[in-house]
Formats: sequence, structure tokens, C-alpha cells
Amino acid sequence: MLGAAATWTLPVFLEKTFFALDAMAADALTQTVTGKDGTILVVLQMAGGNDGLNMVVPYADDAYHRARTRLALPADQILKIDNYAGLNPKLTGLKSLFDEGQLAVIQGVGYPNPNRSHFRSTEIWQTASEADRTVSDGWLGRYFDNCCAGADPTVGVAIGEETPQAFAAKNPTGVTFSRPEQFRFRPSEPNDDRMSAEEMFFRQLNESGVVEESAATDGASIGAISGKTKNDLSTMDFLRRTALDAQLSSDKILAIARKYKSTVTYPQGQLAASLNIIARMIAGGLPTRVYYASQGGFDTHAGQINAHERLMGEFNGAVSAFVTDLKQQGNFERVLLMTFSEFGRRVQENANGGTDHGAAAPMFVLGGTVKPGMFGKYPSLTDLDRGDLKFNTDFRSVYGTVLDQWLKAPSQIVLGRKFPALAIV
Amino acid sequence: MLTPLPAQKWNEETAAHLLNRAAFGGTPSEIGTARKKGLATMVRELVDVRGEATNVPPPAWAHPRNIREMRMEIKGAKDRGENFQEKARQLRAMEGEEILDLRHWWLDRMMNGPAPLLEKMTLFWHGHFATSVQKVRDGYFMWLQNDTLRRNALGNFGTLVKKISRDPAMMIYLDLQQSRKEHPNENWARELMELFTVGIGNYTEPDIRESARAFTGYRIDMTTQQFRFAPFQQDLGPKTFMGKTGPHNGDDIIDILIMQPACGQFIGRKLWRYFVEDDPSPQVVDVVAKRIRAHNYQIQPVLREIFSSEEFYSERAMRPQIKSPIQYIVQTSRLLDTQLPSPIVAQNAMRQMGQILFAPPNVKGWDGGKAWISTSTLLFRYNFTNYLINGDAMLPAGSPPRGQGGDLGFRRPGALAEEIRRDPIDIGKLVPAELRDKPRTLVDLLSTRFFQNPPSEKEADAFVQYLEARKPDMSDATMRGLVHLMMSTPQFQLA
Repeated sequence: MLGAAATWTLPVFLEKTFFALDAMAADALTQTVTGKDGTILVVLQMAGGNDGLNMVVPYADDAYHRARTRLALPADQILKIDNYAGLNPKLTGLKSLFDEGQLAVIQGVGYPNPNRSHFRSTEIWQTASEADRTVSDGWLGRYFDNCCAGADPTVGVAIGEETPQAFAAKNPTGVTFSRPEQFRFRPSEPNDDRMSAEEMFFRQLNESGVVEESAATDGASIGAISGKTKNDLSTMDFLRRTALDAQLSSDKILAIARKYKSTVTYPQGQLAASLNIIARMIAGGLPTRVYYASQGGFDTHAGQINAHERLMGEFNGAVSAFVTDLKQQGNFERVLLMTFSEFGRRVQENANGGTDHGAAAPMFVLGGTVKPGMFGKYPSLTDLDRGDLKFNTDFRSVYGTVLDQWLKAPSQIVLGRKFPALAIV
Repeated sequence: MLTPLPAQKWNEETAAHLLNRAAFGGTPSEIGTARKKGLATMVRELVDVRGEATNVPPPAWAHPRNIREMRMEIKGAKDRGENFQEKARQLRAMEGEEILDLRHWWLDRMMNGPAPLLEKMTLFWHGHFATSVQKVRDGYFMWLQNDTLRRNALGNFGTLVKKISRDPAMMIYLDLQQSRKEHPNENWARELMELFTVGIGNYTEPDIRESARAFTGYRIDMTTQQFRFAPFQQDLGPKTFMGKTGPHNGDDIIDILIMQPACGQFIGRKLWRYFVEDDPSPQVVDVVAKRIRAHNYQIQPVLREIFSSEEFYSERAMRPQIKSPIQYIVQTSRLLDTQLPSPIVAQNAMRQMGQILFAPPNVKGWDGGKAWISTSTLLFRYNFTNYLINGDAMLPAGSPPRGQGGDLGFRRPGALAEEIRRDPIDIGKLVPAELRDKPRTLVDLLSTRFFQNPPSEKEADAFVQYLEARKPDMSDATMRGLVHLMMSTPQFQLA
């Protein structure tokens, strides 16, 4: 009676599903077996509004020191990139990457009519909408919908308690978990040694349904059902398919989490833990195109100097360990990590040794094959919009470049129109 | 025209369908009672809501306060460079506690209140006039809007739109209170047309600009937390809106919108989608739109006709609908004959399943349908049901870890064990003692209780085989395992 569950070796099924639809199916088969196919995007959200001015510091600008009598970082501590700007002193690992030609810094990124609400501006970045339009699905969700139909559900993996709005899609795909052990079915009586009867029959129910149903309705084989996008399925078939997906991806994620441990030591902290999980999933060959992680705490209205230093240190430590890990795995060439925050902060510091919500800010894009350097122009610190930096690169130019050139997905379809490309990839 | 359902088609199946859609589901005995009462009586009981159901006493904390003063105090301290953070933290904590309480207060009304349809319609309007506490940041304003929605849920749609245009939570959410004569804010005007009345394609950009001028002078008195009209801020000049020129005010604009045929279509389609099917045919939308206009936008008689109609019980309409997370929480608790989970557990379940009351993702509300289900939300549903059935014993030992709730996804630091403590359900209420050793009969009985459609033969066999495999252990634990197994299926996600 366990036949249905036991006769499928799960990875084989997953690979079949994935390859049937992957655009580059021809050479993908060998690649997934080794976990070395396809490019991977890691999106890192700095939630709360990261102070871009103290991350990529215009140390040579008097206006910076004038506006920030308490918060300005001394010029002699800056990790200088050129004779105008440099990195926060805590970003030593990022500076090494820059020097090795693996980091692109895009300056002055934002969008027209910037919104200074966390909630709304985050939504704008997550959905890639115009500032005056509300869109339900996320930019990555539209990528999944349009470019990954029928792909393995682990095509998108968000590490956290909540699925980011960027993943919201017509046909929700992708998985979200903060710890791999969480993303699994729990039978009534937890039993570590042997599978309980409940779990056995749960597997039977959730794994056999789809095959029978679809075979009955269209005589298709397993390979062929995966070709049907979830959108075409009846509600019941859609649910059965999702239940199967959940079971299979849960098994695969748990198996990878058990098997692959990092040899690199990660620092403490949530971001490091998240990137560690991602590195292990990459090592295990999960067929994921987009990972999503976040770091919180950037809303530094008061006492910023210590808080931001700690955040930069945590960011630097986590990303450095992640990069070292990927290099050891031999996967750094396949990975592009992109940071964003919903807005930067006001140029002028406030009375509490903090900064209020601002607008344009820099983004980091790093990876083994990135085109390094400083991109865009540092916004003027004196020609301001309501006290905030004016953007000169639309964030959707960055998204568009990543979509077109890294994920090989048509950005025009995902973003609704074409944005000028950047020479970062 | 909607055709009345012939009396001979009123049976257990149609009665169950009515309770699923117009309420939060029925237990077998409730379905039996509904069948005996007959369709007309049941529809009357659901739709003819008595005064006391709409006139609900607020939670104890929900009264107007001078939040302006509280916020100014913090801002003042901040501007002076003083330590404002403790005060700000206290205010945030209070806001958090209030909205937590409000969410549970509403769930309790859905679960135990006297008028389930009224609550379901209130939820419909909450999704329609979507407003989030994330921006409004005040529990009283959110309660006030909920109260307005409830009092008008079955009344006149035009009246409801006018009340919502003066609703402080909505005014904050769509920046209406910031609109000035010199700089009319278009946010509310745009959504009023795009999302609340006629839908995209049925208005022009000049319509938005002109109507934004009509909604000037709307203000909130933050010391009393009430709507206030500021005549000197009102633009009394002539405006041309949808071909009509005059010194229109906000209510005039709403009156013009309601007269558009597109408005009846828009509301009709949305109602049908909510109560009946994801993809309504244009024909049925036409019929409902006509009925809405025929009843001058009175919602109650329209619902009465819908729930009494053959179309509502047609084969097409009786195809299953995916339960919303809110429906899932309430209906599962009812079917298990148990209590709602604690406020903090319920709130986190809403978050994990993607429908947090008072915090829709954006002004478009929740998409619903297939968008409710992903691998993550489906697994969460299964594990959450495990918790409802087996209580906190199902959680791995030592959980929740500090600052998290482990498998229930808590985010609140230090979520207390007391808040997640829960006893297993009383399985005797669902499983008669004499059926414990009659697997097939027991599975049939529980299937009737849990599923809208009978399970497939394979599924039923798997449930029976589970019991066989557990023999001779026919304990409560085995029975709870069966219930969890039956609920951990695609079938159970449907109503």
C-alpha cells in the first residue's frame, strides 16, 4: 500500500518536472545532477530604510560633513573607492570583493515621486510598480508566472516567516521557511525513528492523487502533467498538484539540509543563518533560480551611529561568509547577490543622532561574474528633493538588467516595459 | 432573472452549500436542521439580520482618544532631542495589543455570533474597501470602520460608499484627509473608481482629477477621532465629471458613479465571485447586475434572491471553492467542535496563510481563489490543523525557540507558553464510541462532516487503511490522527 510513495525516487521526479519545462532543458540534465546548472539570483532586503549615505560614503563632500555633524564617518576611516566615495569602515569584506572585481556599486537608485512610507515604498520595490499605481503581484512572482511555468516549486525560495510580496503571483509558486525542519508535514505523533501510519498514508494521499487524476482526465504520463501550468488545472487538480509539490520539495529540502553542512564558519545573527541555509541549498543542487533573504533593523531614527555600525558589521560578516562558502563550493560564478532597501535616509541628521526616511540610495550587486565598479552618479548632496537625494538610476533598470542578462528572462514582460540596461552583468 | 430553486431540490447537499457559502459552514446536525427548516426559512434567518446583530458593543479599549496629543508628545520629544523611544515603544505596543484583540474579537463574532452572513458580508466589504492598520496605525479607527461596514453590510451600497468616504481609517489610508483645495489628492478618487465602484476602463484621467476636487474639505479631528468637514478647504467651483458639469461635491460624485451601469456589473461580479465561483459567466454577472439596479443597490434583497436561486445551486456553482484563511480558521474550529485558537496563535495563522484581518496586502484587498494556496501555505494549513486537533503537544519539544513560535510561525519575541497552550479536542464529540472498531462506517461519517464532496474511493480507502494499520490501538490518539489525516488533504481545503 506504500507503493505509490515508495516507488518514486523523489529527486528523479523533481528533475523530470523541472527539466521538462526549463528553457535550457537540453544540457540541464547533467547539470542538475551535480547541482551546477543555471544562474542563481539572491535578493537581500535591508528592511527599514538603510542609510545609503553611511554605507557608500561621500567622504570628500563637505556637504556630507556639514549635514551630519554627529553621524558623518571620518574620512580617514573610509574604505576608499575613488576620490569622492568609499565604503563604510565595517564593510571590509565588501571592499575586498570590490578590489577583486566582484562587486558593482550602483549609486543613486530610486524611482520617480518617491514615497516615504515603509509600507508603501517596500510595496513599490516588491511589485516594481509606478509610485502611483497599486499592483498585487510581485516582480519575481511575474517572473515565475511568465518564465517558469511548470517549474519545480523550489524555483523561488524565501528564507523567513513570511513570503515576500515580491513572490506574489497569479499562480503562487516558491517556498518559504525560516528553518528547513519547519517546511514539512507534521503527523499527530512526532516520531523520529519510523514513519507513523498517519504520515505513511498522508504521503500516499498527497502523492498519488495527482497522477491518478491527471492520468484519468487526459491520459498523460508524469512527465506530461508537469507541462500543464497550474493555471490550466481545475481547482481540485491544482490543489493536488500543490500538495504533491509541497511533499516533494519538503523532502528534498530536508534531505539537503541534513546532508550539506558548510565548512565555512558563519557569524551569529539571522542574516548569516539565512545565507547559510541558502548556501547549503545551492550546494545540494536545489533547482532554485531566486533566493530571498532579509536583514531588519535599518529604521535608525535615533542613536544611529552604533546601530548602523552593528548592522553594517552583521551584513559584512554574513555576506563575506556566504561568498567564501560559495567560492569553496565552486558556485560563486553561478550566483548574483543583489541588495535593496525601500529607501535611503534624509541627508540632514535629526536631533536624536538619527536620520529620517529619505529617498535614493545605493545598491550592491555582487557575484563571481559581475562587472565590477561604480555605476551611475553619486546624487548631489545639495540639490535635494524635500531634503532627500534625487535618484538617477531607476531600480527597475537594475531589475531589468538582472532579468535579461542574468536570469535570461524577458524583462519587458515581467516589468511591463523596457528600462535602460546597466553594464553590471 | 434569477430562477427560484424548486422545493424538491432542497436537500442535505444544497443545505450544506448554503451554509458553506452564506455562513462559515455547518456541522452535520446544523445541516440536518437547515434541511428540515426549508430553504425560505433558512435564507430568511441568514439574510434578515436583526438590529442587535449589527449593533455590537465595541471592545473595551475601542473609544476615541486624543491620539494627536500622544503622537505630538513623541514628536516633540524627538524634535527636542530627548529620549522619545520608550514612549514610542509603548504606543506601538498598545497599538499592537489592540489590533490583536480586535482580530480575535471579530473571529469570535464569525464563529459564535448570531449573524454569520452579516459577518461574512462585513468581511466582503473589508476586502472591497481594503484598509490596513499598517498605515492607519490605530485600533479605534480600524474598529470604527469595521462597525460602519457591519452596520451597512446589507444596506444600501451608495450609502455605504458615502460613509466610507467619511471613514477616518479609509481617509488616512488613501490620503483623503491631506487633500487641499489647491492640491487635491487623487489617490482616493482613483481607487473610488478603479476598485470601489465602476472598475478600470470605465472612467478617464480627467474624471479622476475633477472628482478629486469634489472630495476636498474632508478632514479628521484627531483629538476626537471623528470625521470633520472643513468648508473653507472645499473646492466649490464647477467640475465636469462623466459628462455632467456642476459644483459637484463628494456625494454628488458617488451618486453619478452609482448610476453607471458598470457599477452594478462591478459589484455584481464581485459578489458572485465571493459567494459562488471564481470565474462567473458574463451572463450571470448581467443578471445579478440587473437585480442590483432593480433593488436600487439594496444589498439584502439581492442576497436573498441569490441564495434562493437555482443558479446559486447549479452544478457549475456547486463546484468547490478554496476556503479563505479566515473561513478555514473559523470553519475548522466549528467542525472540530472546539474553541478558536488563542489570539496570538490565530493572528500568526492568518499571517502564515496570507490573510491578516485589518491588514490586507494593499488597497486591492485579497485576490482569493488559487492565490490562497502555495506549497508553504498548504503545509501550514496541515500543520495548523494538527495544532487545532492535538493541541500544543504536537509542537516539537522545547519549542517555541526564543523570539519565534517554531512551527506556528510566531514572530513576537517571547511568545509565552501560556498563549500557545492548548488541549487536544474532545474526540468523543466527533467519533461515537460504537464506531471505533467499524472503520468504513466511521470514515463515511467523518467524510460527511468534513468534506463538501465525498472523497474518492482511493482516498476513503487510505483513511480506512490507516485505521487498519493502527489496530489494535483504537485510542483517542488514533482517532485524532484519523481526523488530522482527513483534514490534511486537498479535499478539505474546499467548501
